[in-house]
Amino acid sequence: MLVFLIRRLVGTVPVLVAVSIFVFGFVRLLPGDPARLVAGPDATAQDVAAVRIELGLDGPLLQQYVRYMGQTLRGELGRSAKTRQPVAHEIGARFMPTLWLTVAAMAWALAFGLLVGVISGVRRGRWQDHAGMVMAISGISFPSFWLGLLLIDLFSVRLGWLPTGGYGDWTHFVLPSITLGAGVAAVLARFTRSAFVEVSAEDYVRTARAKGVPERMVVWKHTLRNALIPVVTMTGLQFGFLLGGSIVVETVFSWPGLGRLLIDSVSFRDYPVIQAEILLFSLEFVLINLIVDVLYAFVNPEIRLK
Amino acid sequence: MTRLLPRLVLSAALAAASAAPALAAKDLVIGVEANMPHLDPANTNDTLSQTAERLMYQGLMGFDKDMKLIPALAEKYEASEDAKEFVFHLRRGVKFHDGTPFNAAAVKTNIDRVANPDNRLSRRSLVSMIAHTDVVDEYTVKFVLSSPFGAFVNNMAHPGTFMISPKALAEYGKDIATHPTGTGPYKFVSFATDTLKVVKNPDYWRPGVPKVDTVTFRAVPESGSRFAMLQTGEAQFIYPLPAELVKAAQANPNLAVINAPSIVARYVAMNNMKKPFDDIRVRQALNYAIDKNAYGRIVFSGYSTPMDAPIPSDLGFYSKQGVWPYDPAKAKALLAEAGYPNGFETELWGGTSTAVKRGMEFIQQQLAAVGVKVTVAPLEAGVATAKLWNVQSPADATMQMNYGGWSSSTGDADWGLRPLLYSKSFPPNLFNIAYYSSPVTDRAIEAGLATADPAKRAVAYKEAQAQVWKDAPWIFLGVDRLLAGQSKKLSGVYYLPDGGVLTEDAALD
Repeated sequence: MLVFLIRRLVGTVPVLVAVSIFVFGFVRLLPGDPARLVAGPDATAQDVAAVRIELGLDGPLLQQYVRYMGQTLRGELGRSAKTRQPVAHEIGARFMPTLWLTVAAMAWALAFGLLVGVISGVRRGRWQDHAGMVMAISGISFPSFWLGLLLIDLFSVRLGWLPTGGYGDWTHFVLPSITLGAGVAAVLARFTRSAFVEVSAEDYVRTARAKGVPERMVVWKHTLRNALIPVVTMTGLQFGFLLGGSIVVETVFSWPGLGRLLIDSVSFRDYPVIQAEILLFSLEFVLINLIVDVLYAFVNPEIRLK
Repeated sequence: MTRLLPRLVLSAALAAASAAPALAAKDLVIGVEANMPHLDPANTNDTLSQTAERLMYQGLMGFDKDMKLIPALAEKYEASEDAKEFVFHLRRGVKFHDGTPFNAAAVKTNIDRVANPDNRLSRRSLVSMIAHTDVVDEYTVKFVLSSPFGAFVNNMAHPGTFMISPKALAEYGKDIATHPTGTGPYKFVSFATDTLKVVKNPDYWRPGVPKVDTVTFRAVPESGSRFAMLQTGEAQFIYPLPAELVKAAQANPNLAVINAPSIVARYVAMNNMKKPFDDIRVRQALNYAIDKNAYGRIVFSGYSTPMDAPIPSDLGFYSKQGVWPYDPAKAKALLAEAGYPNGFETELWGGTSTAVKRGMEFIQQQLAAVGVKVTVAPLEAGVATAKLWNVQSPADATMQMNYGGWSSSTGDADWGLRPLLYSKSFPPNLFNIAYYSSPVTDRAIEAGLATADPAKRAVAYKEAQAQVWKDAPWIFLGVDRLLAGQSKKLSGVYYLPDGGVLTEDAALD
């Protein structure tokens, strides 16, 4: 197990190096001159030239790349072109809000999605199934900016129960996590249901029933546990996506997260921040995949980690 | 949808008790559109950062609520006849937030800092005409310029020349952006990602202000959410207020709508060096082809006034020329006379925001009516930079028409005309993307800078504006109105024509 983990972690290094090269080239392929954007609409050519040197964007591309890789390997991510703050500070300040929102959204989405999925699977073709799937389809199709604004209108403006946005105590989490989790809950409900239905047709489920295992045990142990593999995969993927920050939810609820930072950075051509954020997201995905693999083994001991 | 989420009802009920905004009586919250990049006045160029900097910083000069120049840290000034020497007499007894005194030496430190090319500050051009700054005595400072610059006093009101504590500058260096230390009405408390908080400066030199204890700027990018904040009382002032929410705001008895004039001019720059726009009749024809009142109604829901001079009426030395009449028949006749009886095909560039695209489509429809077929091409900011501002010579310019806007941050006619309409301002130097060049206009713009005498400057800028209007290098469209929403409990917050907000006199009932 430990050997497996170490080997997998070492294996991530080439992935991250490849990503860093790709991102470095990619941001520079974007049209537009960051120095001009930083200097502002009414800066003179002289001002722009000063900013270009300040940002380290002078000199040939190869020289810039060598400088960038050297800094990155030393763990220096540079300073944001926009705020002039260290990139680590910029990302650090937004990482926890995004992480906690992701955890809150995933927690309820997972609980709710599994529950609806199992009920729909057990009561396949009955009204519970139809109701569950109508909810799931709604959850997927409902645009989150609309859901978010409706929730704000109802719970903040009309009822006055919850704040309209911003990052703060737990009351600030309720509406954004509902909005963010709705789509995930829906996807998970559909995944759980179809996996559940598939596993229900397996011989061992019939055998369990035949040998007189109580129905509750058949559902929760024999069927669900085996149906969980695709659900775990999907959960990991969704978690990874949410950790990248949701641009829509962060915008509607003025949440200081990574999604808005990325969008702002791209439109501002803030190279150091874009590069560092993409690297972070890649790292997160690699780690989540690793965790998912480990979870497989827990869910189904037949799967061995090699 | 909420029935999908039964647990929500419980959480919401639990939240009910604690969610009411726990604000003390005198905490002012302002909801703004975007994050402030940072707070070093000499290195920022967006109106929002500048507004935030005005909470804590001041310059020698300042603006009142109508954007008229007023003394701030200087009590008065004298300018030499040739606009090359400016002497400022400073206000006595003013202290920076760190307790150090404000004096002539502090002014010199600040101006030298911005002017020093090694510091690579983006507002350096505001002071680059200064040859040297002299401390005459404790409260008198003299600027000697290398060339005449009649708009110099306005530059001393620009945030780029705000006064920072020399002690703080020495202590924090480049990190002064996160440790603002000025002389302003509020002191810095914290600035985290999207929230800036400041607290009342008890030693502020103007007696009686500030009247609120704290001011918080919160970035709320979605306008619906920003308006919701105002409705719930989480914010007392929000800007900008989108035109479509004005009715909702007016319907709420607790809220007031601010509808203020701006200095944001919107126009289409035509490439005056290239066919067919090198023919003045074509440029005049396109001005006749557009109904400016309809432009305001359709593109800005009525919150725009037709341009009646090359610069907006709230800039210094504005000279009214009258709105260009809407006359499609005359437009067609002029086009025929210029050799385009069946019109021509061209491309219109502009930004990517919804409002800008709406404006471009409006222009497209209006010009189609006189036979000019326009292809609309919204350019993302980075692309616009490359294709408009970084073009190295007029021959390389590929722009035919560009729909854009301009706001003169110094409040003076010079910065409203010279960067855009002076023949030495072609990109990449400055922003004359119309490649407009007129000896008469050039001479008048130069004359306006050659003196600090307001009467002489007025004559020069009157001539410049008349000439530009006649030459029609742009299609003159409209001047934005500014919209903000505020609680009726709030007074003393002013929306400046440059899009900034003055909070010094803010008071809450």
